[in-house]
Amino acid sequence: MPEEFRVLAPLVVAALGTAAVAVLGAVRPRLAPPLAVATAALALSATLLMPAGGQVDLPWAPTWGLRLTFAADGLARLYALLATGVGLAVLTYAAGYMPLHAAHEGYPLSRTVRLYSLILLFMTAMLGLVLAQDLIVLIIFWDLTAITSYYLIGYEREQEASRRAALTALLVTGISAILLILAGVLLYTRFGTAQLPDILAQVQAGPFVTATGALIAVAALAKSAQVPLHFWLPQAMVAPTPVSAYLHSAAMVAAGVFLLGRVHPLLALSPGLQNVLLAGGFASMAIGGVLALAQREIKRLLAYSTIAQYGYVVVMLSLGAVEGAAYYILAHALIKSALFMSAGAVTEATGETDLDRLGGLARPLPLLAVGSGLAAAGLAALPLTMGFFKDEVFFAAASERGGLVSVLAVAGAVLSFAYTWRFWGGIFTGRLRSQVQRIPATLTLPVLVLGLLVMLGGIVPDPAASLAAAAGESMAERATPLELAYHLDLHAPTLMAVITWVLGIVAVLTAPRWTAAPRVVARIGERYGPDRGMFMGLVRLTTFSRRSRAFLEVRNLQWRIATVLVAAALVVGATIVLAPPWPTFRVGRLPTSDWPLFLFLLLAALSALVATRSAGRLILVLALSAVGYSLAAVFTFIGAPDVALVALLIETMMTLLLLAVLGLLPIGLARAPAEHEPHPGRRRAVGFITTAFVFVICWGVLSWPAPDAVMARAHLELAPAAHAADVVTAILADFRGLDTLGEITVIAIALLGALTFFVSRRSA
Amino acid sequence: MSMSTILTRTITRLIFLPTLVTAVAVLVKGYAGAGDGFSAGVIAGTGVVIQFLAFGPRELVARYPSLRRAPLLAWSGLLLGLVTAFAPVIWGDPIMTLYPRPGEDVPHLGLLAFHTAVLFDAAVFLLVFGFIVSVLGTIGNRYGSEGADS
Repeated sequence: MPEEFRVLAPLVVAALGTAAVAVLGAVRPRLAPPLAVATAALALSATLLMPAGGQVDLPWAPTWGLRLTFAADGLARLYALLATGVGLAVLTYAAGYMPLHAAHEGYPLSRTVRLYSLILLFMTAMLGLVLAQDLIVLIIFWDLTAITSYYLIGYEREQEASRRAALTALLVTGISAILLILAGVLLYTRFGTAQLPDILAQVQAGPFVTATGALIAVAALAKSAQVPLHFWLPQAMVAPTPVSAYLHSAAMVAAGVFLLGRVHPLLALSPGLQNVLLAGGFASMAIGGVLALAQREIKRLLAYSTIAQYGYVVVMLSLGAVEGAAYYILAHALIKSALFMSAGAVTEATGETDLDRLGGLARPLPLLAVGSGLAAAGLAALPLTMGFFKDEVFFAAASERGGLVSVLAVAGAVLSFAYTWRFWGGIFTGRLRSQVQRIPATLTLPVLVLGLLVMLGGIVPDPAASLAAAAGESMAERATPLELAYHLDLHAPTLMAVITWVLGIVAVLTAPRWTAAPRVVARIGERYGPDRGMFMGLVRLTTFSRRSRAFLEVRNLQWRIATVLVAAALVVGATIVLAPPWPTFRVGRLPTSDWPLFLFLLLAALSALVATRSAGRLILVLALSAVGYSLAAVFTFIGAPDVALVALLIETMMTLLLLAVLGLLPIGLARAPAEHEPHPGRRRAVGFITTAFVFVICWGVLSWPAPDAVMARAHLELAPAAHAADVVTAILADFRGLDTLGEITVIAIALLGALTFFVSRRSA
Repeated sequence: MSMSTILTRTITRLIFLPTLVTAVAVLVKGYAGAGDGFSAGVIAGTGVVIQFLAFGPRELVARYPSLRRAPLLAWSGLLLGLVTAFAPVIWGDPIMTLYPRPGEDVPHLGLLAFHTAVLFDAAVFLLVFGFIVSVLGTIGNRYGSEGADS
């Protein structure tokens, strides 16, 4: 169906593009960048062609009531536009950036292919997330973004800082994602459906809604890097710039506030939760803003700025200004990705990341300075940019709430003004302090385009406003008109904006007097912050694990076997003593037909006796295999050909393996040092207990050779229905198939253990 | 200890292929008589173990450098098993549903039955065979390289 296809087209294009880049890039690394850019461009056009309000509903697992439902509502279209549009800019930029980066880091071009396909995979996950109307589908894509971001942040896998940052991000966003799953399960069991519109239509205020809302909110805030779960974001700046520009402006962090918007009707039912969100948003604004002023590394400054900026969005969502929040996200994504990309371009041009060693780059890099300047003007909310309106909607929402919120809002905006100048002024103004190399146009162009878009949105505000209004409408489920224009009369938002600029200019001019203060805050945060708490928690957990292993693990092989045997013997012995099944144990006759069986059992016993007495390894191995072969023969006599076959094969395999390994061992039986050798008395005790236990069991089994056969008969009758002539096969593959699956998984795990054992021994 | 005589080496090389054929036969006929993926995997593994005995670790790894990639066999077996088990969920059937369902006809080509249970058995085969060969390969790699040093 054409409409259904048009809704899913961006998702399908991105998914196919991911695969195409991964496969073709592996063969021809040079094809990866143009292919990735083309995919993003196609996905962007498919997004623009998405029919407003179009829906897709496909059955998935009808027995569980799961349907694949996607809808191109206002919210989905806004975010899909961001994911594909910013994605296109970032991938264009990456095509210029990654070859330079690879040359700096000294690895071949073929290794950069992974980055393009992972960014496209992330785009796919984002598109799926925003289009999904089914909670389960939404959760799957949510987790896909977390996993993909792990690989993207840890892209420089040789560097320890990079791996650690990736793990931190995965732990914070992954563990909080479990809360989202929990909330999803709660909602599913309560309302009997996983369809979000149905759930949101049924929810009513109460403790249940508050609890699930809180679970969802924690997951969303962790994803959006809100205080106190913000610390993964600055660490994630070790990733290459295209990753930061995409994940940490328009995609990953935006997913958190997207989720808050998606379940807005549910959150709106709980005023307490709204107040918590309000406080969290302001805390992020304050801490992010202050710490941004303390940073010297340009990308980390932007990371803290992102934390603060998403604080604004959370505040607006909790104030119910959904259309304003949507507009803010749109403006911020364009601005922040442009700034990240200019930071990367500056670093490629000068080799510096430190504000103290940068400056005066406006002259050698004029176009970059203009593009970055337009974006920075937007972040500082100057007129004639989208930024002006982003602060206007923010101030409008705050001033409706009251005095305190307004004051806090202005304070946050002043911080933004100050750190924006610190970023742009620090890089482009002042004295030139470094050598500047030429950079390719693909590094400057995306910044310039995004900067011009930010300005265009400030001059012609209507298109962006209508997008935001549509998104607000689908969040709040009511009409949310958004009209943006420059007002010359003095109403509250304009007044607050003017106060912000004045205070901001004062802050910038007096900067030398207060620069020490944010650094003190940063140092306190490093020592007592949540980052440190998580690190210590991980250290304690590892110590606990190591101690419990040292406590539980039996190191002596003989004792390890004895532990299993004695424990089993004691349990069986206890049942026999407590409920004596005496009639089971009979002393019967030995019919002539059973003589061969008896002879083979005797052979097994004799071989076992030889094994205990043998002095050399070879005799030991042969005696043990004689035991095994005799028992395999016994199975043949009691009519179990499948068991006999397997026993025979395993015995052959073990004998050959032992012989093969014998050749590698030094000559003579190795003895453990005397102090590790178990006491002879104890050894005899273990032997006696075990033998008694095995004897009792064998006696019981042999004196009642036809036990309850109901199960077996049922299996025999069912085997033809399972298309199997052999009942054992039918049991293994069909009736108890899940058990077999579990068993082969165990084999795989054992293999993993064996491989790591040999590898670690070799390196040790 | 050395089992490397001309006789053992020649016989070992001669019986390797027949061993693999036997293994596949046991795997395929498992649905008609005694035998299944597990036994087939062990039989095929025996073929490689005998080679290990006859040629010793160093020469085995030198003869078959692909031994290093044997874990891939095991992992693909696990993957195949998981896919066979969980794929039915996609179209709404319970886990581990096998096709054709009971009562439906199973197409045959000689002993080979076109039934997803055979696929599942093949997964077991790959995993068991991959396991044995990987362990041998790692032992060979380790002692083979050590032997080369000394």
